[in-house]
Amino acid sequence: MDNVTRFAAVNTKIKSMEGELLKDEDYTLLLGLESVTEVAGYLKERTAYSEVLAEVDTGTIHRGMLENLIKQKMVKSIDRIIHYFTGDYKSFVKTLYAKYEIEELKILARAVYNGKDAAAFRNNVFVGKHSRIDTSKIYEAKYIRDIIYALQGSEFYKFLIPLIDGDFSENPFRFEMVMDMSYYSILQNKWSKLEKQDIKALEQAQGIIADLLNIQWIYRGIKFYRLSPEELLNYTINIGYRLDFNMLKTLCYSKSLEEFNRIVKSTRYGFMLKDDGTTDIYMERRMERYIYFELKSMMKNNALSIISTFAFIIFLQFEVKDIISIIEAIRYKVPADQAYKYIVKKI
Amino acid sequence: MKITSIIGKLTDLDKVSRLIVINGSTHILNAISELNSNNLNLSVPQKHMQILQELVNIKPYISGRDFSGDEGIIRLFEDLFNLKLKICEDYLCVGDEYENTMAELRKVHEDVRHISEDMAERAANIEKLQQYLNNVSYLRNTDLRLEEINNLNFMKFRLLMLSNENFKKLKLNIENVPAIIFQAAVFNGNTVIASITPKSLEEEAERIFISLNYKELELPQEFSGTIEDVINQINAKISNEKRQVEELRESVAEMSRTYSDTVFKAYTLLELEKKAEKLKQETALGSSMFFVFGFVPESEVEGVRIELKQYFGESIIFIADDVEDKRLGNAPPTKMKNISLFKPFESLISMYGMPSYGEKDPTPFFALSYMLMFGAMFGDMGQGLIILLAGLLISYRTANKSFGGILTRLGVSSMIFGALYGSIFGSEELMGALLIRPMANINTMLIGAIVLGIILITISYMYSLLNHYSSGNIEEGLFGREGLTGFLFFLTLVFGALGKATGELTVGIGLPIGIMVVLLLIMVFKQPLAGMLTGRRLYEDSPGDYYIEAGFGVIETILSVASNIISFIRVGAFALNHVGLYIAFAAMAEMLNSKTAGIMVLIIGNIFIIGLEGLIVFIQSLRLEYYELFSKYYSGYGVEYKPVGLFGKGDSGNEMV
Repeated sequence: MDNVTRFAAVNTKIKSMEGELLKDEDYTLLLGLESVTEVAGYLKERTAYSEVLAEVDTGTIHRGMLENLIKQKMVKSIDRIIHYFTGDYKSFVKTLYAKYEIEELKILARAVYNGKDAAAFRNNVFVGKHSRIDTSKIYEAKYIRDIIYALQGSEFYKFLIPLIDGDFSENPFRFEMVMDMSYYSILQNKWSKLEKQDIKALEQAQGIIADLLNIQWIYRGIKFYRLSPEELLNYTINIGYRLDFNMLKTLCYSKSLEEFNRIVKSTRYGFMLKDDGTTDIYMERRMERYIYFELKSMMKNNALSIISTFAFIIFLQFEVKDIISIIEAIRYKVPADQAYKYIVKKI
Repeated sequence: MKITSIIGKLTDLDKVSRLIVINGSTHILNAISELNSNNLNLSVPQKHMQILQELVNIKPYISGRDFSGDEGIIRLFEDLFNLKLKICEDYLCVGDEYENTMAELRKVHEDVRHISEDMAERAANIEKLQQYLNNVSYLRNTDLRLEEINNLNFMKFRLLMLSNENFKKLKLNIENVPAIIFQAAVFNGNTVIASITPKSLEEEAERIFISLNYKELELPQEFSGTIEDVINQINAKISNEKRQVEELRESVAEMSRTYSDTVFKAYTLLELEKKAEKLKQETALGSSMFFVFGFVPESEVEGVRIELKQYFGESIIFIADDVEDKRLGNAPPTKMKNISLFKPFESLISMYGMPSYGEKDPTPFFALSYMLMFGAMFGDMGQGLIILLAGLLISYRTANKSFGGILTRLGVSSMIFGALYGSIFGSEELMGALLIRPMANINTMLIGAIVLGIILITISYMYSLLNHYSSGNIEEGLFGREGLTGFLFFLTLVFGALGKATGELTVGIGLPIGIMVVLLLIMVFKQPLAGMLTGRRLYEDSPGDYYIEAGFGVIETILSVASNIISFIRVGAFALNHVGLYIAFAAMAEMLNSKTAGIMVLIIGNIFIIGLEGLIVFIQSLRLEYYELFSKYYSGYGVEYKPVGLFGKGDSGNEMV
């Protein structure tokens, strides 16, 4: 199948769905609101989120429920896109769900580890979307091990086997790391079946994201965690675009944070670190904005490729994240002129 | 179909539901919704007036029974005794036998439980040993002794499995890892490594391996010697365990002779109980009575009545009423009943939809016309024979009786037409045509197809008129597109065109066109016309909507009548196509010099024609049936008659050949 037939329809659909994303003025207005119910009301009356909020009484809605509904809208949008694909492409796009499912499973595992009731997470929207498992078992979990057993039959399971082997001790950190690493393995496996030019584009797009995540990981590893350089290195993602293994090795083995800073500044990713003490607060937002603009330009340069789909799903993720940030800012009474700094969208 | 009501004391509920299941001819309705929807006409005799009081307080049956434990026990015996469980009719009974049988089985289960647990334990043991065997064999080409590597004082030896990606990371950073690593094997994207670490650095190495998500391949502690020795020892132990399992099995075989009958009985009663439980969920319970409603074919009603009377005497009230309300939703289920020649085609009908109750079963007409069209398009003695044989094979070797049956009949039809066309495996030289050579008479074939189409469509209109007559639908029956007016329009068009074409139309083209316009106008005003006749309302919805729809209906009528007729040209066209394809292959065969190669081409050509052309013709005939003919007369809104029972009685898929 050539790329025109494969992407013409879905890209048109994505174009129309992009039109439904929140506009700058929506962000300004949302930031000016005073309560969660007002946000819910605004989203219901004025935006495409009416799709998931139509049946809901926004007057009594609480934060957790609203957040789940917003994520639900993301699921609906992605499902709509998936319909346009077949074969290996369909299974690749479905794999993009894995990232969000892993995020939810990680949070769930930590909660279970801390003795919380897994049933409280019943409204999670992504659990099961990629793994296709019977989710009821997950929400009955008492230990992390139960979550692993519940994932039997999913693509995650084979990565988790070492965790339940032999003398297993409940360890949320290991669970989190294994799940994160499994995502890139699964993803690579799936994209290797696509057309050559799509693989190339994905290697660039996902590679840049991996670079950023690797820098963030090593930075935090050196600054906050007591991990050996070997461990830091082993937990890096091996699909970097500009930073190869040797570069990562150098970064992991840097003697001090200063040395690390110096090396990063010499790369294209120097913008992540600032000397004015804002690095920790804004690193994530800086990364995300960078990803946003990189993907935007890639979309322009690779008009008929998988990038439009890949990027659009990430844009959806950013929008969901922004709305949740805004809700949190309102909830914790952060003034609008402060709050806007935490959102990905540049307004 | 009769709608039956069974009313009895709550204490009899279990037995009655078992009886209905064993009898197997009642299509159960949900009693609560039947009672609530009030469309039930309970003709309760005077002396049972107290029943009406029961209706005040109706609740559904809530099943608290869980059969999974019992089922587990039965399955365990099935496995242990190596049985193939099936339902034995001899054990079926209405009384409360189930619990006793299960109690008996549970007692036996107590005795055999330790045997089965022992077997499971040994099976797990064997699995573990096999893993050891696998792990140890990675060290096969070394002269290591197992006790040596297990008991190092200063070093720790381990076998680990990593993914290839993680192994690569380890390799690229090997200078920083406090261990000596050997690569032992690579498979399935994983790498097996042997690592030797000083005991003092074990913790550090472990943390690195954890970050690589390793899986340890355990080495057994209880064996010693060279690797070859150990492998032999493990193998010996495995076969020993296997022998033990065999012995246990034999000891069980003794018991199986005594108890397998009980297992069969328990299984039969369990299945009965499960079905009865399902039935009970559709019942309604009063404070002391229960209600069961269902459809029973007229021929079976007496049987049910007699059986109930036999078991329960006067304490059960059984009422069989005629069905009065046949509207959609309440309509009784349909059971298609056809002679065995037509029976397999029922599956193609139900693919479209079951006939509604009271609608004429289209199967005979469908089957005849389908065979006719398929044969006409795919007429060949030899290829037809292949299809016939394939059909017989499918019906006797697989469960799919209906598809096999259809193929058999189509094959026969194809052979008949093959004789008429004089064609054997495509070749027209082996025998003379009894009727016609398609390729030599192209125009006759195409015109013949149209004539066939006109005849089939006419029969469809007849069916439609009959259906409308029996349902008393004046609007559609007299004035509708598929009714009398539509039929007259069709006839006028056909004869008008025929007259014009042959020049025999003496009155000028204006008359038939005039008639058609009048008929179209009648169709536009069908609802108000019917309203005037019956004295009911003129319009069901707003007149505006109605006329917009009717206006478009006119355009569709004109288009569809013409296109439906022309559509049948394909019958002729495919008959030609069939010959044409063979001619192409025959030409190819002639071009080849060697005779064997030529024959090969003809064989391949025939396979190709049977596979591809056969499929196309199958689908095209189906299309003509569904689209051109069914749209005229068949609604297919019915519900299939599915009685509760143990053997799937009335389940049309199983019994046809």
